Amino acid sequence: MNKNGLSEYTNSVHRIGRIGTVIAIAVMLGIPVTMCTDFDMWPKAADLLMFCGGLLALYVPTGIVESVTYTPILGSSIYMSLITGNVSNIKLPCALNALDIAKAEQNTDEGDAVCTIAIAVSSLITIAVVIVGVLMLVPLQPLLSSPTVQVATSYMLPALFGCMFIRLMVTNPAGGRITGKWKMMIPPILFLLAILVFVTKLNRGIGVLITIPVMILSSWLLFKSGQVKVIQEGQPSAEEKQPNTVKNETITEK
Amino acid sequence: MNYFDVANSRLLYVLVGIGLLYISGLVVVFMRKAWRRALELGIPKKTILEVVKSSAVFTVIPSISVIIGLFSLSAVLGVPWSWFRLSVVGAVSYELTAAEMVSDALGFQSAGAMAAANNYQVFGAIMFVTSICILAGMITNIFCAKRIQVSMTRYRKSKGAWGAVFNFSFAAALVAAFIPYIILGGSVGIVVLIVSACVSAVMFYIVGKYKIQWLGSFIMSAALIMGMIAAVMATNILG
Repeated sequence: MNKNGLSEYTNSVHRIGRIGTVIAIAVMLGIPVTMCTDFDMWPKAADLLMFCGGLLALYVPTGIVESVTYTPILGSSIYMSLITGNVSNIKLPCALNALDIAKAEQNTDEGDAVCTIAIAVSSLITIAVVIVGVLMLVPLQPLLSSPTVQVATSYMLPALFGCMFIRLMVTNPAGGRITGKWKMMIPPILFLLAILVFVTKLNRGIGVLITIPVMILSSWLLFKSGQVKVIQEGQPSAEEKQPNTVKNETITEK
Repeated sequence: MNYFDVANSRLLYVLVGIGLLYISGLVVVFMRKAWRRALELGIPKKTILEVVKSSAVFTVIPSISVIIGLFSLSAVLGVPWSWFRLSVVGAVSYELTAAEMVSDALGFQSAGAMAAANNYQVFGAIMFVTSICILAGMITNIFCAKRIQVSMTRYRKSKGAWGAVFNFSFAAALVAAFIPYIILGGSVGIVVLIVSACVSAVMFYIVGKYKIQWLGSFIMSAALIMGMIAAVMATNILG
């Protein structure tokens, strides 16, 4: 274990992630540089600034929010997730699923390792599926452009989040069980819903930024009032024992 | 030389191939390290293989939407650049918005009209705009990801039971953030959300009750497929 509290593995993965990200950015920018040099089609700097202005205003905050909000869940696999994209619709569900299968918890070495494996597999599969799409561009187009498939794929997010909601409710971190989870979900959902209906429309990135502090605050209040409890494995729940006999500090630092 | 001669040029295919090889190589490096670490930590190989199988099966279905995006995007950006952007950090909505912003600034009615005008010079600008504007997340990772993880790990360890709830709060907040958008998105989305939740709940119950562990790997894929079938049926019924 290193002095910063992370294992040698995690430190090494962060090092690879940082270097890998720098090279990935170089590759992403290197392709247009090579193309513009070869075809002599360099855009003027002033034009580029003008084209980028609006998009940067929109996507810089979104990118920062994604990095800050997904890292606590994805750990060191955040580097790979943001390089390969599709975080909320593919990578995040894969990571939560992997944590459940391995009975591991976020922000532990076990959780970090299984999340990384899941996201790596998912990234490779997506790259492979897109290659198949490129090779089959002509024959697949009529099928995938049909109204039925268009409708089905446009509702992928609710289909995913219905499953992720239930998964969060029924699965638990290793060695323990959190009770009253559904109570934790209500305040942030209602708060964001009220903002969207009565105040203003916000993009999802900002929505996540709002729900995190509301969720933490409401969870803390529920935890302190005994509405949310953590029960160690093998220990009977509050319902199974006498009411209010399970204390908040059931799991102590191992 | 016209726009699509450049956008579908052999050089761009080669560069995209090199780029994707690098990304795939990086992913494999991460995977090898994580695999070894998981075994060191005593996670059984069977469990790791279960994670691999479940992730692979689940990813195929959402990836179809990426291919659909490829069709619409390739009409504007050509095949190789669309292929690259959708295999890495990009998304259809972002790439199309970027192309539309360039076309708008150049006085074209749409990105399609810009491509049809056959001025290949604008393709360089599009490539730069799509590449630059989405880098913020990756740059933030370089400076902040490790600090965030160190803080989370320390906090989790020092806070005992509350640390477990705090940890859970982040994943829960992410799911909670999407639900209001789905609710406000209309009745079909709500039906899909409920169907997917019900399918998942039933499958989790079966896995727990009858100890059918292999079924657990298919819950997410099954919920996704049933949700999408429900979307088609609900659209026909509710309009």
